[in-house]
Amino acid sequence: MSTIPIFADEHWRLPSRGRVGMFSLIIGESAIFTIFVVAYVYYIGRSTFGPTPQVLDVPLFNTICLLSSSLTIMVAERAIARGRIRVFGAWWGLTMLLGIIFLAGTAREWTRLIVHRGLTVRTNLFGTTFYSLVGLHATHVVVGLIMLSLVMLFTLLGRVEQCHAERIEVLSLYWHFVDAVWVVVFTVVYIVGR
Amino acid sequence: MAETIDRETEHAQDRRIQLPAPTAWPIVLAFGCTLAAAGLVTSAGFSILGGVLMFAGCVGWIRQVLPHEQHEAVPVTARAVTIASRRALVERIRLGPEHRAHFPVETYPVTSGIKGGIAGGFAMIVPALTYGLIKQHSIWYPVNLLGGAGVAVWTNSTPAQIATFHWTWLLIAILIHSVTCVLIGLLYGAMLPMLPRHPVVLGGILAPVLWTGILHSFMGVINPILADHIDWGWFLVSQVVYGVTAGIVVSRQERIPTSQSLPFIERLGIEAPGLMDSRPDAGPPRNKEER
Amino acid sequence: MADRTLPIPGSLDATRLRDAALLEWLHSWVVTVDHKKLGILYVLYAVFFLLVAGTEAMCIRIQLVVPNNHFLSPELFNEFFTMHGTTMVFLVGMTIIFGIGNYLVPLMIGARDMAFPRLNAFSFWLSASGGLFLYFSFIGGFGLYGMGSAPDITWWAYAPLTEKPFTPGHNTDYWALSLIVMGFGTLGAAINTIATAFSMRCKGMTLMRMPLFVWLMVVTSGLTLITITPLTAAQIMLVIDRYLGAHFFDAQAGGAPIVWMHFFWIFGHPEVYVLILPAFGIASEVIPVFSRKAIFGYPAMVAASVGIAFVSTTVWAHHMFTVGMTSVGNTFFVLSTMMVGIPTGIKIFNWIATMWGGKIRFATPMLFCTAFLFQFLCAGLTGIMLGVAPWNWQLHNSYFVIAHFHYTLTGSFLFCIFAAFYYWYPKVTGRMLSEKLGKWHFWLFFIGFHLTFDTMHFVGMLGMPRSIYTYEADRGWSTLNFWISMGGLIQAIAVLIFAWNLIRSYLDGKEAGNDPWDAWTLEWSVPSPPPAYNFADDPVVRSRRPLWDLKHPDDPDWKYEQ
Repeated sequence: MSTIPIFADEHWRLPSRGRVGMFSLIIGESAIFTIFVVAYVYYIGRSTFGPTPQVLDVPLFNTICLLSSSLTIMVAERAIARGRIRVFGAWWGLTMLLGIIFLAGTAREWTRLIVHRGLTVRTNLFGTTFYSLVGLHATHVVVGLIMLSLVMLFTLLGRVEQCHAERIEVLSLYWHFVDAVWVVVFTVVYIVGR
Repeated sequence: MAETIDRETEHAQDRRIQLPAPTAWPIVLAFGCTLAAAGLVTSAGFSILGGVLMFAGCVGWIRQVLPHEQHEAVPVTARAVTIASRRALVERIRLGPEHRAHFPVETYPVTSGIKGGIAGGFAMIVPALTYGLIKQHSIWYPVNLLGGAGVAVWTNSTPAQIATFHWTWLLIAILIHSVTCVLIGLLYGAMLPMLPRHPVVLGGILAPVLWTGILHSFMGVINPILADHIDWGWFLVSQVVYGVTAGIVVSRQERIPTSQSLPFIERLGIEAPGLMDSRPDAGPPRNKEER
Repeated sequence: MADRTLPIPGSLDATRLRDAALLEWLHSWVVTVDHKKLGILYVLYAVFFLLVAGTEAMCIRIQLVVPNNHFLSPELFNEFFTMHGTTMVFLVGMTIIFGIGNYLVPLMIGARDMAFPRLNAFSFWLSASGGLFLYFSFIGGFGLYGMGSAPDITWWAYAPLTEKPFTPGHNTDYWALSLIVMGFGTLGAAINTIATAFSMRCKGMTLMRMPLFVWLMVVTSGLTLITITPLTAAQIMLVIDRYLGAHFFDAQAGGAPIVWMHFFWIFGHPEVYVLILPAFGIASEVIPVFSRKAIFGYPAMVAASVGIAFVSTTVWAHHMFTVGMTSVGNTFFVLSTMMVGIPTGIKIFNWIATMWGGKIRFATPMLFCTAFLFQFLCAGLTGIMLGVAPWNWQLHNSYFVIAHFHYTLTGSFLFCIFAAFYYWYPKVTGRMLSEKLGKWHFWLFFIGFHLTFDTMHFVGMLGMPRSIYTYEADRGWSTLNFWISMGGLIQAIAVLIFAWNLIRSYLDGKEAGNDPWDAWTLEWSVPSPPPAYNFADDPVVRSRRPLWDLKHPDDPDWKYEQ
């Protein structure tokens, strides 16, 4: 051991704390969703009375809206990384719009189920698991929309700058997660479970 | 070697370090969340108050971190720090051959354990019968104790009953005795490669004492009737006689080399005639099939 | 006195000045985002609830000391053992590990604070207010009458007992809601710890140079992410059931109580590892320092920790052998439970190999860690016994199980926590804990522990079920139960000595200096107590033992480490 390993300062790079934190949060949230999905799958076909999953309509338009919002938010991310704040604001607004359309679609679906089909959370096991799982996802969409609207607000006030690109990226990770979870929920509820 | 580092004194006194500014909003938000949940078990008023606090907490928090996180400058106070050790001597653990102290190059064959066990079994009869004669005035007493208790057929026998002669019990006792002696001998032989240095000490003294101790603690649970009749002193004596005899027999056996003395490549099971020496007893090199 | 009776407006009142200073001081603790202050708050909070839950345990033991006792009412007994379990796991265990982690992780990796200091404060206050909410149940609901509506559903809260028709009051709701609140606090702390360890390391602190305690905190936090959240999810389901009339665990509408069992133990088993892994970290810091040797097999220790975390997520149903799973299910969970023995075995051997050939000093932290090694081995062995399905069928829900997991949580976890107190107290306060009182604490606690929990194995094998209110005199359990309670008393005395030691040493303990144990990790390179900014200059490390390198410039570690 005659050579002394010289420590190279200039190569000292650490992962961004925001990304690490958000990935950790996503892992935790995934566990919550896993439990709800498992409960849903376990209880498929176990309702002793009341409406069955056949009353559901496949929300294709909703799904397309939510999934495409992942693309628009990516475009927005790139825009702010290059410092084009106005473009960023436009794409960000579009993302929010798509999210709101998704929520409105869910609200319409729920109204139809509750008013016309008489399916509530206390009707039977299907109602219990359906509203819990879809509702849990909708809650995440709502939280995501609140965050998005905050960024939108600051953008309109002109407070968002290129230096915030990393924070925006972390937030969009969350939005991507919400979209990815929808793929799972959609598959389980509207394809496998129906 | 002692080295005092007062890094902080070498800097100017008015140096300041930026740290996150203290803020009350996290506690407000946390308390709000809890109150909101507590409203479910108390009254809606709590939830409303919780909701208000949560909103206030969120707004306050956002104002703390956006657009830039708030910091406060903390002045650096000079405090000397000593990083030194009184333990200047560093010793490295030297890895020598003695760190595999029980690295047997030679050991006794397993069969020597069985031979020792058989010899010990015969030797053990002497103290056992002596005990019967002296203590109970009958050589059949220890025999019946083993034969009778071994199959647990008698319940409340008197010493006189045990002292009389029974054919069946004699046969059972011989069977138990011989099987146990051979098995223990086998175990002894199997353990020898691990501790090959002092077979007499190990097998003759240490093992019987441990064995007697284990039996003494367990016998009350396994066979309480037998435990009542055993004289543990004599029992120990006969065990030691067994062990010493077995140990002497074993130590007179010829040692065989363990696989440790073979070249590594041969231990792996690879035939490499060019790399390894032929065995001293092998004569001129031959193929393995011919051996 | 005159000042106080006749206050003159605007005058410099001495009393008021002192009050103002006190208020200022309190305010600084409430608004702090400093990881050290929050760590201290966490630990103090945990110690307070350790005393509370210990008192509950003592009440349980007094109730069981003689047959047909009526010291507690049956209702209160149920509440006490539920609250004892819940408090010890969530309010003591979880908070104390994240408290110690909060204090030490940034110091050990050479950082100035946690990755998210405000989130850190939020997590603590969420956990703290959640705990107060849980204890509010004693006076909430129907008031103090019959001790209010404290949870009385056992800490594993099996359905359908927790459903509305069977537990009409708010007992279950207090349990579920407060644990949901605390669960989010814990989640925040876990995220923070991971982000800190990955993103805040000082120069040269590569992942394979991090102190093992930091590694174990990372593994624990990762495990927390995927174990606390299932519990939260299941508790949300329970709350939906109880408040919105849903049917998740409602057997009458087709819901399956067994699903609750699965969900709970998916949380519950890894939870034990969440608690014990930081204890491993503490042992991995204390044992090398007091053996004067570097830790043996550092990479193997890291790999074993990660391995334990992975394996621990696949073993949950060994809590459920008696519910009647398929043979395949039983076999799988028996085998996966056996698998845990491999990485834990590696760890035990590595600790022993660290001690082997070292110059061992049996100061109090080392005493606790040595006892931990032995007791953890015993706990592991009874764990393997209980992991064998047929054996489990015999002893499930008996005191044998209680003895096993108290060997893990008291004999291993708490012993290491005590070791951590004696080891890092000088760093936190600047004063040494009294070694003499520490020895008294150790030996009394050690004797009391073994008297209580060794005996519990036997009373369990004699058939005494857990959670029973009382028992008849002719069951043959009386003498053993008496000694179990006596052991509990000895432990209580030991803990009181410990509490007294904490207070007394704070007031007039020996001055510690920055490095009283001649240790090697970065926290000992700063003054005790550390300044708010931790490190005036960012440290640079080149090995796993940066202070060793400074103390032995002729023989530094980086020459030998890979």
